[in-house]
Formats: sequence, C-alpha cells, structure tokens
Amino acid sequence: MLPYSSVLPWLCWLLPIAASLVPLGMRGSSAKAKGLPVVASTFLSMVLALSLLPALSGPGYSDLQAFWFSLPGGGSVGMGMLVDPLSIIIVNIVAFLCFLIMVYSVKYVEGDPSAGRYWFLMSLFVGGMLLLILADNFILFFIGWKLVGLCSYGLIGYYYNDEREHWIGGPAPHAFQKPSRAGLKALLVTTFGDVALLASIIIIYIYSGTFNFMELYQTSSTWVAQIAQTPGLLSAVCLLFVAGPLAKSAQFPFQEWLPDAMAGPTPVSALIHAATMVKAGVYIVARVLPIFFLAYWVMTPRLSEALIFFYAIAISGAITILLGATQAMVALELKKVLAYSTISAIGYMMLSLGVSGLSPSSLVEGLYSGVFHLINHGVYKAALFLCAGIAIHVSGSIYVNEMRLSSKSMRRVLVFMVIGGLALAGAPPFSGFWSKEGILMSCLESGQYVLFAVASLSVILTIFSVIRVLGMMFCNGSSGAGYVAPRFASPTEQESKGHGDNVHSAVPALMLLPCGVLAALTVLLSCVGPWLGGSIRQTFDAYLIDTLGLPLASLVPTHAPQGLPISLILSVSSVVMIAIGALPAYRIYVQHKWCAEDLLARHRSLQAIHRLLWNRYYIDAVCNKVFVGWTLAMRSPIAKHIEGAMDAAINVGVPSLIGAASRGLRRIQTGILSVNIIYFVATVVALLLITIFAGVL
Amino acid sequence: MPFMLLQAVLLPLISMPLIAVLGRRLGRRVAWVSGAILAYTNILLASAMFDLWNGSAPVVETYAWTNALFALEFGFSADGLSLPVALIANLVCNALVIFSTEYLDHRIHAIYNRESNSLNAFYYSLFMLFSTGLLGIAFATNLIEVYIFLDILLIPLYFIMDHFGYVTRHRVATMCFLWGFIAGALFLLGSVLAYSQTGSFMISDLPALVGTPLALWSALLMLLGMLVKLAVFGFHVWLPWVHAEHPSCIAGVLAIIVGIENYLIARIFVQQIPSIFELFSLPLMVWAVVTMVYGAYLTLAQDDIKRLYACSTIGQTAYSLLGLASCSAFGATGAVFYFISHSLGKAILFSVAGIVVYRTGARDMRQMGGLAKRMPVTATLCIVGSMILSAIPPFSGFPSEWIMFVGIFQQGIQGSVAALSVAVLGIFATFLTSVYTFWPVMRIFFGPPRPDHENVREAPLTMLVPLLVLAAVSLLIGIYPEIITRLLIPAFTGIP
Repeated sequence: MLPYSSVLPWLCWLLPIAASLVPLGMRGSSAKAKGLPVVASTFLSMVLALSLLPALSGPGYSDLQAFWFSLPGGGSVGMGMLVDPLSIIIVNIVAFLCFLIMVYSVKYVEGDPSAGRYWFLMSLFVGGMLLLILADNFILFFIGWKLVGLCSYGLIGYYYNDEREHWIGGPAPHAFQKPSRAGLKALLVTTFGDVALLASIIIIYIYSGTFNFMELYQTSSTWVAQIAQTPGLLSAVCLLFVAGPLAKSAQFPFQEWLPDAMAGPTPVSALIHAATMVKAGVYIVARVLPIFFLAYWVMTPRLSEALIFFYAIAISGAITILLGATQAMVALELKKVLAYSTISAIGYMMLSLGVSGLSPSSLVEGLYSGVFHLINHGVYKAALFLCAGIAIHVSGSIYVNEMRLSSKSMRRVLVFMVIGGLALAGAPPFSGFWSKEGILMSCLESGQYVLFAVASLSVILTIFSVIRVLGMMFCNGSSGAGYVAPRFASPTEQESKGHGDNVHSAVPALMLLPCGVLAALTVLLSCVGPWLGGSIRQTFDAYLIDTLGLPLASLVPTHAPQGLPISLILSVSSVVMIAIGALPAYRIYVQHKWCAEDLLARHRSLQAIHRLLWNRYYIDAVCNKVFVGWTLAMRSPIAKHIEGAMDAAINVGVPSLIGAASRGLRRIQTGILSVNIIYFVATVVALLLITIFAGVL
Repeated sequence: MPFMLLQAVLLPLISMPLIAVLGRRLGRRVAWVSGAILAYTNILLASAMFDLWNGSAPVVETYAWTNALFALEFGFSADGLSLPVALIANLVCNALVIFSTEYLDHRIHAIYNRESNSLNAFYYSLFMLFSTGLLGIAFATNLIEVYIFLDILLIPLYFIMDHFGYVTRHRVATMCFLWGFIAGALFLLGSVLAYSQTGSFMISDLPALVGTPLALWSALLMLLGMLVKLAVFGFHVWLPWVHAEHPSCIAGVLAIIVGIENYLIARIFVQQIPSIFELFSLPLMVWAVVTMVYGAYLTLAQDDIKRLYACSTIGQTAYSLLGLASCSAFGATGAVFYFISHSLGKAILFSVAGIVVYRTGARDMRQMGGLAKRMPVTATLCIVGSMILSAIPPFSGFPSEWIMFVGIFQQGIQGSVAALSVAVLGIFATFLTSVYTFWPVMRIFFGPPRPDHENVREAPLTMLVPLLVLAAVSLLIGIYPEIITRLLIPAFTGIP
C-alpha cells in the first residue's frame, strides 16, 4: 500500500466536517456564498478519494491504528482508516456523487434564507458518510452511521414549518405527510435498527475483544466458534446485526420510512436517500460478510447458524425487490416512484450479498455484482433524481400526471431521464443490465431458484414503471399543447425569454450540468460495463483469497467454464422480460393506444391490486396503527390509571392514613385530669406486672 | 494547592452570608458573584482532575472530628471516580446559576409581582448549598458524611421549591423534603447497622462487612435509601412532581441529585462490597429495566413540557442502575460515565424547557409548535440534549452507553436466560429514549408557527451560553472519551 494513504483518508472525511461549520458562521452572506466552502471541501474530498485509487492495484490493505481511548479490562478502542478495495471503491463513488450533487445544490437553495442549515447538514453528512466507509472499526463506523442518520433526519425535515407546498402524499382525497413527521419517522425507524446493530456489535466485542474489522477477520475462527457454543446466540447475533443495515437501507420490514423521506429537498433525496446513505447498509453487510461466510463454509464443524445471516438478507432483499417494484407501478409522485425503485434496487444488492454466502461458488459473483450494482445505481439514480428536481421545479407539481412537460423544450432532461430510466430498468446494454445480470447469475449459482425467479420477474415490473413515469411526464396525450412553462426564472425574466422552444435554457446550467455528467457517466458505465465488472470481480477475488485468506479454490468445485451459455440464456430471458413489461407500458402511456383507466374499470381484480399497491400493501397503515396508534392510545391510561393510581395511593393515601391515625389518637387525648390519671395508673400497673413477670421468668 | 477539596466543598457554604448581603444590594446581579465562586472551585477541581489524569496520585484530605463518644475522620477523597462526578456536578451548578439570572427574575415577577432583591439574595445564597452538598457527597470518605451532605441538599431544595416553584409548590416542597428525608433515614439506618458490625463508618472499611450477620440487612437498608432517591419504579411517584414543579433553573441540579445515588452505589457497593451487591444483581437489573420501560412510557404520556423531562429522568437514571447492577467493570464504568453524560444532557433539556416556558408562557406542548423559527439556538440545544440522552454520537451519551451495555451483556451472556433477556430488553428500551426525546422536539419546535407566538424571541445570551458550554463539554467528552475513561477505569479494576 502507498505510504501517503495513512493521512489522506483522514483528511477525506475531516474536511467536509470542518467545512460544515463555516456556513453557520457566515451570517448575512448569500445562500450561494455559504455553499462555496462546502462545495470546495467536497471537491477536495473527491480528489483525495481519487488519490486512493492507485492503491486498488496493489495487494493487501492499509490500516494504521492509533490509540483512541481505553476500556475497562485493559482493552482499548483504536482509530484508523481502513483502505482496502471495498472502501476505496465505495468512497470514490460516494465522494464523486456528493460533489456533483453539491454543485447542483448551489442553484437549488439559491435565495433560501435558511441555506446555512442546509449546507451545514449536507457537509456534515458527507463527512459522516465518508467516515463510515473509511472507518477501521465498529465504533468509528457507528459514529459515521449515526451522523448520517441524524443529517438525514435534519434534511428530511428541512422544511420543518410544514408549509403546504412541502407536503407529500396525496393527491387530495388521499392522506398527506408533513416533512417534520417524515423526518422523525426516518430517525426512529433507523434508530430501531441501530439499537439492534449495536447490541450485536457489543456481543461480538465481548467474544472477540476487538472492534477492528481486520482483527475481527483474522481472529474470526476463534470468536465465532465461541459464540456458537451457546446455542442460539450466533443466530441472535446475525439477526440483530442485519436489522441495522436493513433499517438503514430501507429493506423489508423497515422500508416504510424511505418513501416519506421524499419530503426533503430533491438534492437531499438524490444524495442521501438514493445514492449514498441508504447504501451504507449494503456496505456494512459486504464488510462483515466474509466472517459469516468463513463460519459456515470454511470452519469445521460448520456453524450452520451463520447461514441465518445470509438467508435473512437474501429473503429480505427479495421481498423488498417485489414490494418496491410493484409500488413504483402505481405511485403518482415522481420522487416516490424513484424512491420505490431505490428500495427495489437496494433489494437487488442485498439479495446479491445474501446469496453470495449460500454457496462457495457464488461468493465472489454475489459480492462483486452487489457492489457493482451499488455503483451503477448510485450514478443513474442520482441522475434521475436531479432531473426529477428540475421537472418538479419546472412544472410546479410533484405528481407525474400533472406535470405535462414538453418533450421538445425539456429535451435534455428527457434524454437524461431516458438514459437513467433504461439503466434503472436493466435494459441492455445500459449499466444496470450488467450488474443485474451478475446478481441473477449469482442467484442461479447459489441454487436459490425462488429468489432468482423473484429477481428476474421483477424486471418486468421495473421497466413498466419506468416507461409509465416517463410517458406520463412527457407524452401527455395532448401532444405538445399545454406544456408548462418553467417556473425557475423570475416572472420578468420569463417574459423576456418568452414561452418558446428555448425554454430549456431557463433551466440553470449549474443544475443541468450535474445531470448531464451523471447521464454521460451512465452511458460510459454502460459501455465499459462488462470490462469494469470483470475488473471489480478480479479485485474482490484477489482481496478475498489473498488478503483475507479464504480458501475459495478448495471450496469451489472446478467445473468446466460453462458460464457462457448460462449467461447467454440469462441475457435473452432478460430481454424477453423487458419486452413483456415494456410493451403494455408503451401502448398505454406513450402511444395512448390502450387506456389504463378503462382497463382498470373493466377488471375488478386489477382494481383490487391497484388499491393494494396504492396503499403500500397496508404495511405503513398497519405499522402506524400498531406502533404509533397504540403507543398514543396508551398515553392516557398510563397517565391516569397507572401513574395516577400510584400517585394517589402513595402521595395522597399514605398522608391521609397518617392523618386518620392522628385523629383517632386525638380522641383519647381528652385533657380531662381524671381520665389521664386512669391512663397513668394503668401504665404503672402494666409496667409493674411486666417487671414482676420478667423477674420471675 | 492546600486544602483544595476543603475549599471546593466549604467555600460555597462559607460564601452564603456574603452572597446574602451582597444580594440585597445587587439583586439578581449577585448571580455573577455566585458564578465566580463556583468558577473558582471549578478551576480547582479541573486542575486536580488534570493532574490525576496525567498520573499523579489521588488527593486525600483528612480532618479529625473526634469527641468523647466516637472518633470520626472527616475526609475528602478525590480519586478517579469522584473527581469527574464532582467536576461535572459543579460545572452544571455553575452554568445554571448564570442561567438563573433571567429565569428567576421571571419567576419572582410571576409569583410576587414585584422586583425583590431579598428574594434574589435568598435564592443565590441557598443555591451555593447545592454545590457544597454535591461535592461533599462526591468526596465523602465515610457514611456519616454522605448522610450529612445528602440532607444538606434537602435544605435548598425545600426552600427554593417553596418560594419559587410552580402551582402546588408548598405541597410539593413538603413532599420533596419528606421523601428525601425518608431516603436519608433508610441510608443512615443501614450505615449504623454497618457500624455495629465493622466498628467504622469509613467507606473504605466496608469490605469488613462481608460475612457479618447483619451485612445483608445493612446493605439492603442503604440500598433502599438510594433506590427511593433514584426513583425506581414504585418509589418514583415523588419525582414527576418535584422535578416538574421546581423552577427550571435548578431542575438540572435536581437531575444530578437523583443521579448521584448511582455514584454512591458505585462507590459503596460496587467498589467496596461487590460480593454482597452481586446478590441483588439480577433483581436490580430487572427492576431497572422495568423502570426504564415504564419511565419511557410515562414520559411519552406527558403533555406538559416540564413534566416530560422530569419523567424522563426516571428512566435515564435507571440506565445507570442497570449498568451498576450488572456487577462488571464495563457496566460500572459505563454507568458512572452515563450518569455524567446524562447530567449534562438533562441540564440542557430542562433549561430548554425553562426557556420555552419563559418565552412563551405555556407549559402544554399541545399549545406549541413551529418555535424553531423563532428560537433556532434553543431548538438546536434541544436537539443536542436529545442526542446526548439518545446516545447519538458525537456527544458523550454514545460512548457511555455502549461501554455500559458491554458490561450488561457480559452479565447477560454469562448468566441465565433471564439476564440475557434483561440485557436485550434494556438495549431496546434505549430506543424509546429516541422516541420520547425527538417526538417532543417535533411537537415544540416543528410544524407551522402559532399565531400567538408571533412575538416570541430567542432566549437571552445569559441563558444560552451556559447551555452551549455544557453542550461543548459533552461534545468534547464524546469525541475523546479517554478524558473520563482513563479516570474511571482504575476505580473498578477489582471486579471482573
């Protein structure tokens, strides 16, 4: 590893954190000026991340630990930056996306009086995100993990005054959600997962005595075996652990916070809730995956409980793929459609990582295609979200059916969105296709045919929803008439420019540029997809075998390289799936030959399905009822009947008991001399008797 | 520095008449005199802590207090366990005495409808007793000292409550005094029993208690006294009243008065008689988890902003109790650390509640909303306080909580299934903390602003700066926990 790589990763995440304080101090500056230090620091972070790339070619990893603080029992927590292929790849994609979205934000928050808060939280987020990727131990990782969660909370609830225009949900007869509530929901759902994750980290520490990832790998054969000696404990560790990533990455059963998180500003949705933070779960799963793999496949005897880790992730991922893909088919809010597809795409990554541990031959395939999909998805989804931000601004509506954008004047946005959409749907030869093929392949190789079927059938749903959204946005039937003029420019500016075909020029270049770069990068990734995928695969192969020392060669049966026919069949079937999904969507939403409303009216079953999907399978409603509703319902009984009763019994009951006793006693305190003499005599006699008897005995 | 600890403990007490006299002339500005005195003792303590941190020996001062009946050593010991606790307690006192200037004025006007120098003098001279009492408890070397300082704390509590509290203040002042007195009496009874067995009141002589016939009874009585003050479930009924009806400027001190029992448990039980304390381990852990969960739901049930944070103290102090009851080095270290962290966080939150009440005049959260726009710094402080309580890094709550839970899980894994389920329940109960701290943030500060809060302004600097200092201290400890852990760890080396 390169010698300088010990300082650079530190600067990489410290710079944005330091820069986050600057906008807060710049009182009176314009929103743009406040953003400049943040953009600059993010740029530097990106450069620093790029400087780590050469290390990718070298073997091994670099992790210089420094003492941080001591723990009881002689242990201590160190701190250091772990630079290995996994962190280098992800830190690069994250830093790059952060920079582009920051550039976009400069225009987005222009004129916002509370932009200081925006830049503070965004910059802090970037720092936290990079920290969580580069951290070399669980504690530092968890700090970054919580920091990004907190920034996510602050940015979802950015419009904390809950003005009407920032509500999401609806339209009218349907319920709306307010930003501040959405922020709280995201915080609490992810915190629930975090608590479980922390419990798991603590148990792992008790057995392993370290938080450091590399030390955990190196000693895993001893401590995992010790955990497994207590029956059920390893399963508990697995389940507690996965709850954290699943909640953070909005996977079943924790997926419901992400759609509501769209209440935040669009760059926030693009950065945090599509491209980076929600991938943190994928990252940490990929990080610890070799440990659990080793526990089952390498160790003797095999610790079958370790497989729970992989099954939990794979099944949750597969369920989420279906949930997300189906809900994206009916959603009307543009950002929600994208959010559902994010959930679904992360489901693919989780599925991929999950199946990678279910058979030794699928380990590298699953790991690499999960990470590869993470890269591709980060790029195209960020492009889509940034375009969505432009579309929402231009049309002034969050609903796709009300946007009525002109495909002529918004041509560039349309092109970018089509590129992003096709990559999202996994249409060949776009970038999403290559990584999705890898994921499907690893499902097959691990022998998980049900999961494979789910993953491959979901392609139909995804392409349908992509074409539906694009069709509803740009091909609104009334060909050309009634497109909406951009609302970006101030009224005077708009008038001077007029409502013509040059309207796209009103979309600020600073906003269009990042979209263009991302779209171009999507195209680039598409072109080099097979090659890039192959080299990532090789990197991970070398990493797992040489650095971590997994004896993969002895585990994987050396069968003839018959991969080509299978992958060919896979590709053909994917194309067929895409055609199946694309055709009806194209007929309905682009050509308007079929009418969706008529179809819906004619088939009761379709109506029922539509209702189910529109209501998000009632999962949100049930969770609301159970967790929020019941908690709220318990408030009054607790306050009144439990606390009130205890309070009355002790704070009122005991004093009044004493009062009653004193009143009773007072009755015999008559003050009459003759009565008192009787008391006196009685007492004396009693004392005498006692003395006598005591003496006798 | 000669007589350093004696100065730190007694200087506030001695300065009481001075403050009373000056207060009659200066009015509320005498707060700065009190603040200066506490700042001086803070510097003393901080320098002692710095020396200790750098490896010098603990400071022990002994003063003979002998008569015909008994020989009692009046000692102060500043070791790694007591110094951080004392320093943070004194720091909070210092911050809150400055915070009081505006708030107390507002209370006096609200209750007595007039300017009153004498009431100010009364308050600030009594306030010094908090510092004396808390430092005395922290540094005490024998059980009688502990008892004396515990009861000294009741004096300012009673009078400040009675004079400056909220609606039912006279009743609640009496209630506070009685509960405190009962707790003290139980503790004294236990101490006397211990003396009858070992012939010494010294805390360091307590190990001799082990194996004596009345050892269990003595320990039980002392423990019960502390549990009453700690407001564990069943004994908690006094706390929502006392904490909610106090003027908010001392509510933060109150949280320390409740939590410092955890320090005493660590000092007396975990350090000296762990073999007796282990007998109570599992029942105490269960009791603590019940208190945590019940405290959380009770907190959620509140609409009154002051009562909200009062109720959260019930659950929060039970966290530390859970850590201590795990009878492990991790658990005890984390528990004391958590108490320190909670003291900072709760002082901030209580004071934020005070600011909100001071500025809006409302206590009911249903009548609040959208205040973040008007009071951004206060809203930030409230989020920071919530982060400290919810153990969100980079604040001190996070390292303390996980260190504590390592100990709790150690006990859980080694012990029975019951202990493990207590550990898991306990860590999931911390989730409820996020619920009951961040939900009120939304109710108070987010949402559309209310028209009747049109004129609400940001709090004055004398209220904000002390709280920002406390937040900064918590941040510092959170980023570099070694500040605390290096001192605390040697205190519990004896236990597994």
